Amino acid sequence: MTESAGTKTEDCHAANGVKPGRNGMVKNHHHHLQYQKQEKVYHAACNGELYSRPFIESFEETPMLVAVLTYMGYGILTIFGYLRDFMREWKIEKCHIAREREEQKDFVPLYQDFENFYTRNLYMRIRDSWNRPICSVPGAKFDLVERSSNDYNWTFEYTGRVVKDVINLGSYNYLGFAENTGSCATAAGEVTVKFGVGVASTRQEMGNLDRHEKLEKLVASFLRVESAMAFGMGFATNSMNIPALAGKGCLILSDELNHASLVLGARLSGSTIRVFKHNNMQSLEKLLRDAIVHGQPRTHRPWKKILILVEGIYSMEGSIIRLPEVIALKKKYKAYLYLDEAHSIGALGPGGRGVVEYFGLDPRDVDIMMGTFTKSFGAAGGYIGGRKDLIDYLRTHSHSAVYASSMSAPVVEQIITSMKCIMGEDGTTIGRSRIQRLAENTVYFRRRLREMGFIIYGNNDSPVVPMMLYMPAKIGAFGREMLKRNIGVVVVGFPATPIIESRARFCISAAHSKEMLDRALDVISEVGDLLQLKYSRHKVLPSLDRPFDETTYEENEE
Amino acid sequence: MNVGVAHSEVNPNTRVMNSRGIWLTYALGVGMLHIVLLSIPFFSVPVVWTLTNVIHNFGMYVFMHAVKGTPFETPDQGKARLLTHWEQLDYGVQFTSSRKFFTISPIILYFLASFYTKYDTAHFVINTASLLSVLIPKLPQLHGVRIFGINKY
Repeated sequence: MTESAGTKTEDCHAANGVKPGRNGMVKNHHHHLQYQKQEKVYHAACNGELYSRPFIESFEETPMLVAVLTYMGYGILTIFGYLRDFMREWKIEKCHIAREREEQKDFVPLYQDFENFYTRNLYMRIRDSWNRPICSVPGAKFDLVERSSNDYNWTFEYTGRVVKDVINLGSYNYLGFAENTGSCATAAGEVTVKFGVGVASTRQEMGNLDRHEKLEKLVASFLRVESAMAFGMGFATNSMNIPALAGKGCLILSDELNHASLVLGARLSGSTIRVFKHNNMQSLEKLLRDAIVHGQPRTHRPWKKILILVEGIYSMEGSIIRLPEVIALKKKYKAYLYLDEAHSIGALGPGGRGVVEYFGLDPRDVDIMMGTFTKSFGAAGGYIGGRKDLIDYLRTHSHSAVYASSMSAPVVEQIITSMKCIMGEDGTTIGRSRIQRLAENTVYFRRRLREMGFIIYGNNDSPVVPMMLYMPAKIGAFGREMLKRNIGVVVVGFPATPIIESRARFCISAAHSKEMLDRALDVISEVGDLLQLKYSRHKVLPSLDRPFDETTYEENEE
Repeated sequence: MNVGVAHSEVNPNTRVMNSRGIWLTYALGVGMLHIVLLSIPFFSVPVVWTLTNVIHNFGMYVFMHAVKGTPFETPDQGKARLLTHWEQLDYGVQFTSSRKFFTISPIILYFLASFYTKYDTAHFVINTASLLSVLIPKLPQLHGVRIFGINKY
């Protein structure tokens, strides 16, 4: 039973309006529904006809002073980089980099010296913030191996000690299934005894087990599609299957912030690739219309097929795809839609079925449903779901199915057990309550960070929470200061992000308790004051704390 | 700063000059250089303007037209290795906003330097030669062209 359009419109308008609070106080709300490069954030009404719930996201623009200081920071680092290179060349400073041997001076060089400039002069100074070895399961808390460096991070030494009980805000452990105890671990252990740890063959040959078939049926019923197929590697699900779907004479429309696996798959397919602005439906529609009007270059014949590549949740931006609008455009222009739910499966929707369920849409409107098991299910690999003829085609044409070894049996069992838990087929409400807790933790964490004055990107319901750091020196400083206070975070900078948008990326998990989140928020506020990270110019008044209710969409509902 | 991991932008160099605030930072940088040179005694105002113009153009020549490739590894299998930074800008598309800005800015600086040197012949020759050294490589006709093999490999 669908709601009337009037009700939807009313919901959307209420989300944008200003209502008196419970005690009569009028809260100052900012809903930034559209990100425009050329303008500051502004209000835009969402289309009530397409959306069944408010779509609230924020992308506050970089303050100009911060941008200028960030460029100056990179400029200074570059100058010092050249100075260091000069000192290494003249033996003033010890050289740790790989060098050409003197006898091979006149040969073609083996090393591209300039391509290493960034790594040896900028990244090396702060690389202790990345690739830290851990020595426990990455759940809500984990243990880190302590290491030290005597030569400014060129080499590390283990001290033999362990940093214990670090709050984990860096793992994609959305539903908390990264566990070494419980029913999932037990089932995986039993299957390991029975089937072993690997199959050493492909799905097309000896590597097909009945557990794989059972998993694929379960995935299809979970996604509510006709058929599904599982792959042993998540990245390869995109990069090896898009070449099987599109080829010469096809057009691929790719979001500008798509993951490298999608980009690689699009490139390997040999199709023409055009990029639209991130989550910008006007940009996508313009490309679709131009593609149909003008056809292929030079010959102007129609494209064989047009494939739109989008992701459910963008892992660096925290934004959620505007799927109702994408589906409307796909139907209008008769294109195909490839939806990568690597992060959103399990993390969105009341039943954890991803962004399609989150918006209340029909799974059959999405032609190719892709996702991974590496995040919410605590396993590895990916899947593609869709119509039976599509999946049957992929079984014989997918590069992964023909050449890659199939998924390991304990991994299959971990997925089966966690998916049944999410669907409630194990007879408990553990899965449902985890999904609920993830949504509650997400909204709470984002609201508190915004109230503190940090610039947070992304959709309000996205468990990926990018927090802007901007300046290169603060990337390493933030990571180190947080670890000093026993919180593990992921920091990201240029060239993985735009040059003025370095950030810390928090990943919320259902395994986090409110005490853990409060502890983390207190520490983030403390470090934020220490490093002056509270850049936001849109102060949000603290709202009255109330329990999260799944049916409550308006922030200021009485 | 995850060097070497999956990333959707093939060459981040293409977008740096389009970021918010880069033009302002560039203008402030040139202004700061000029103020620093003005602070040096023994240098008269015309000499300072000529020095500002020459140093700015030399820096622009080095960083935009002499240095090739990227300071980080890119997943394009070395395609950008033989391109100067100017040729990597905006995926090689000509007449974009950034290209127009960086083409016009040395001309404006040249006008200012000529004015403040009172069109002295010696300063004029130096400033004009310096301007041409950064203007000629920016011409669309010379995209990817290496005259006499200059900076070819």
